[in-house]
Amino acid sequence: MPGRQLIMNFPVTATSHRLADYRARGGYQTLAKALQSMRPEDITKEVTASGLLGHGGAAFPVGRKWAVVNLNDGQPHYLCANADEGEPGTFKDRWILEHAPHLLLESMLIASYALQVRHAFVYIRGEFDLPYRRLQYAVEEAYAAGYFGTGILGSDFACDLVVYRGAGSYVCGEASALITSIEGKKGLPRNRPPRLTVRGLYQRPTVINNVETLANVTGIVRDGAEAFKRVGIARSPGTQLVSISGHLRRPGIYEVEYGYPVVRFIDEDCGGILDGRRLKCIVPGGISTKVLTAEEIADLTYDHKAFEKKGSQLGSGGMIAIAEGTCMVRLLQVMLRFYHHESCGQCTPCREGMGWLHRTIDRIVAGDGRREDIDTLIRVSEANDGTTICGMGDAAGYATVGILAKYRDEFEHWIEHKRSKFDGVLDVAQAAREPADA
Amino acid sequence: MSTALGPVSDALVLAPVPNPQRRDSMRHLQPEFEAMKARYPAGFESSLTLPCLRRIQEERGYVAGEDIDWLVEYLGVPRIQIEEVLSYYTQFRRAPIGRWHLQACRNVSCSMRGAEGLIGYLSRKLGIASGQTTADGRFTLTKVECLGSCGTAPVLMVNDSYHENMSAERVDALLEQLR
Amino acid sequence: MPDFFVNGQPVHADKGQTVMQAALAAGCYIPYFCWHPNLSIAGNCRVCVVEVEGEGGGGSWTDIACNMPVTEGMRVLTDSPRVQELRRQTLQFILLNHPVDCGICDKAGECLLQDHHYQFNGLPSASTIPKVKATKFVPLSQRIVLDNERCILCSRCVRFTREVSKTDALGIVSRGDTSLVRAAEDGAFDRDHYSDNVIDLCPVGALLAKSFLHQTRVWYLQATRSVCPGCARGCQVDLWHRQPEWQLNAPCFSEQRTRNRIERVTAPASSPERAGDAVDGPWICNTGRDLARFFERPRALQPMLKGRAAPLHAALEAARRLLGAARRPALLVSSWGSNEELAAAARLVARHARAGIDVFVKADRQAEAGEPIADDLLIRADKNPNTRGAQALFGAAPVRFAAGTDVVLVWGEGFAFGDLPRGARTILLNAFVQPENGHADAFIPISVQTERAGSYTQCDGREVRFAPCFDKPAAVAHAEQVFEALAESVAGARAGGG
Repeated sequence: MPGRQLIMNFPVTATSHRLADYRARGGYQTLAKALQSMRPEDITKEVTASGLLGHGGAAFPVGRKWAVVNLNDGQPHYLCANADEGEPGTFKDRWILEHAPHLLLESMLIASYALQVRHAFVYIRGEFDLPYRRLQYAVEEAYAAGYFGTGILGSDFACDLVVYRGAGSYVCGEASALITSIEGKKGLPRNRPPRLTVRGLYQRPTVINNVETLANVTGIVRDGAEAFKRVGIARSPGTQLVSISGHLRRPGIYEVEYGYPVVRFIDEDCGGILDGRRLKCIVPGGISTKVLTAEEIADLTYDHKAFEKKGSQLGSGGMIAIAEGTCMVRLLQVMLRFYHHESCGQCTPCREGMGWLHRTIDRIVAGDGRREDIDTLIRVSEANDGTTICGMGDAAGYATVGILAKYRDEFEHWIEHKRSKFDGVLDVAQAAREPADA
Repeated sequence: MSTALGPVSDALVLAPVPNPQRRDSMRHLQPEFEAMKARYPAGFESSLTLPCLRRIQEERGYVAGEDIDWLVEYLGVPRIQIEEVLSYYTQFRRAPIGRWHLQACRNVSCSMRGAEGLIGYLSRKLGIASGQTTADGRFTLTKVECLGSCGTAPVLMVNDSYHENMSAERVDALLEQLR
Repeated sequence: MPDFFVNGQPVHADKGQTVMQAALAAGCYIPYFCWHPNLSIAGNCRVCVVEVEGEGGGGSWTDIACNMPVTEGMRVLTDSPRVQELRRQTLQFILLNHPVDCGICDKAGECLLQDHHYQFNGLPSASTIPKVKATKFVPLSQRIVLDNERCILCSRCVRFTREVSKTDALGIVSRGDTSLVRAAEDGAFDRDHYSDNVIDLCPVGALLAKSFLHQTRVWYLQATRSVCPGCARGCQVDLWHRQPEWQLNAPCFSEQRTRNRIERVTAPASSPERAGDAVDGPWICNTGRDLARFFERPRALQPMLKGRAAPLHAALEAARRLLGAARRPALLVSSWGSNEELAAAARLVARHARAGIDVFVKADRQAEAGEPIADDLLIRADKNPNTRGAQALFGAAPVRFAAGTDVVLVWGEGFAFGDLPRGARTILLNAFVQPENGHADAFIPISVQTERAGSYTQCDGREVRFAPCFDKPAAVAHAEQVFEALAESVAGARAGGG
């Protein structure tokens, strides 16, 4: 077990996601404590003191985001849980939706009380089926038990929740696109200013937090900020749900305490690389983070600052382990095809740049690459850094320059020899080796 | 707010896409839409666009022009908003497809665990390319991006359900079931 | 009221202004495509990027100016090396898939993309991959064609239909680099009576008027500031016609192409370079776009006496005698008359003060079938440009001939000859061919608005001026001079006794 567990700290059974089991684990008692003995500002103070960072990818201090909301402005405020989980390699929020939906709901009720939110939303990606059904069932259970609605637990706090299903768009995981989607429109990101905590959903103050981020709130309010800070490390308190996949023996969702060594996690907890191969590199936290080679992670621990010092990020916690012999050109091709497919098309650098990147790498893979194509990939990536409405342009750029910085030779090889340095097949396990059908 | 809590089955749902020949109006869904509207704050009519379209598509198999006309009238949103939404989100369609929509993820982790070979296998077995429907109207094959289930790659989404840890053998067994 | 610095110069900004607004007001140009002073901020083209110097040792940062609030003391650079580089990159991106249609594109010569490319980029394309193809010449409505390949997806047209004309008739479908501007499928754009403003708004040659498509190059044209006579609102318009040295005179061109014609109509303020002293907003309605229809109907070129051709002086003489001998004359004043012409008509009436002329102002034009009557944007129910000026001089009494009216001077259109008093003689002043011309006792063809200078008093009381585009045909007279000639003769006839 990679450290102490704050969320995945109960045995998963056929009923552990249901209200009765959740209550038996102490569920909804923290909500009662919050409503009966704390003021909304106290909750925000506790969350701020805990040092809780966002788990959606940006690692923004949660308390600081909450504190922007003016509790006395007389306007409706909204809270949205981001369950869009579209970042490739990331599949950890679904664990909470499937196995601990009430933990999310109780946390959202506490957060709604802290932020004076009357209507809360969970934005869940449209493709999710079981996570959606489990969550919706939990919502119905919570309503029936009186945790939603008016006069909750005998207080004058009222809160309603709607589970809003997306319909297939990665960009809707971006906070401003998410709320525009809830408004019933195309999920197009918005320029800032204004910040969403000032003008968000239907132009009202809105807080958007990742599902896992919110799931931590109940524990913080129950046990206090100090107890939370005793888990993890100073700059990264608590834990991270890590979804790990790729060329691994035991891919899956693990809760990793911050400070835990990465290599130990991969080799011991996840069983190491398939087929006795060695690790080549990892995508640390979703494909929008820069790859780190096996050498670079040798003494790396789960630590936001440590990853930044290595030139990458912890991101959304979606780790992909890549075995030696994997063609990084083909890997980047899959990533660029994804970004091209998902670009919303609003702003010039991303709309045109994603197509440029994708078509350039397609041409390299087709054996028609030119020497200058590598510089084109770098230049287009840099031209998307900090110039776009949302972070997707930057993300594609990071993925590209990250791989090119460490594996440029593979690209040069393909351009010169018109084929991969390896066999070009991404599936290194003993699966049926049919010709690639990209 | 109270609802009846029926049992929720975790079993994979194998429900086919409705008959594309269906021509009747979807106005019988209005009571459901009214119930949905009641859960939203006042003034959120526009928000109902996505859930109503999803429900209509569940009933009809796709969204027809007359459905758009009705929603414009019912929700009071501009017609262009609905047209834009239908064209922007990948899950909405304005034309019928086969009974079984096979959506194969081709993103990074799935590709690393055999998705590319699997897609090729499906394509050859069904005799169609991605984006096409078999002549008997049974299967439509599309390639999709990350479904958020990378740990159980490769993943095949069939209509609304995730089929995980797929392989050629499991694909054969699955196709047998899908009549 | 923050003061800040642009390129080292102090600039004043009003509360709530963006860097873009304050800089432009101070005369410092920041290039843009998607921004427009009368539309919401889209912030999607990314061309208006500026650099802001860091404070207290912090590094500088760059961001778009159109959405950047001014803060007190901020130091903005609009042309630093970093800004130049970012702008160049953005222009390269815009040009990546833009078809180099300039040789066949109507927008050439007034295209913002051309202008910005030459001023801020000027480099050949950096791409060696084929351009993305899209639909070309899609009929967006019966009046407008759309070329999606040229479109840079600035969304000005979409925002216009959402925020100004409020028809929500346009949108952008699909996503990424397959995004396409499209009209709502219920034909709302055809019913949008302000639709043609998107042609002015479009910074490139994506949205084009069918009526102007491939007609001429803009550099052969000149714009004459004029007034739309379509209703009492009197919006300022620019009428575009060929510069004299670029007239098509060769025999191979049809008479239709060679005679004086208005090639297109735009709103002056739609282009900052042309706005100058324009007082109206940047929009005009579609009726204004179709002004050529009003002015280029078949013209009456021949004075007549009871249908028989006569020289102008003979027609004038006949008119004089008729007026002089009239016991109870009446004058129907044209609500399309300019203030100058109306003043001349008033002097004629004054000369008849002893005998008296009954004067009535008529509405020359009524709304046509399908034409909007009035709205809360620009359109007024009165479809005549100078009712106010005419009524100020002659009152607003409805046309009702007194008993014994024996001579009627009808000026302009919109009067049914069947409503004339029985036996009355008629003097008709009209610019256009109509059957009544041949029935009048004296018919004098007159000039139209585009052939003279003048002014109207529009519905709010403002005087709006227009300049001439063309010379009048030799055979017609200016109504102002006709009235002066008739007024002289009356005095003469009276003085001469009888």
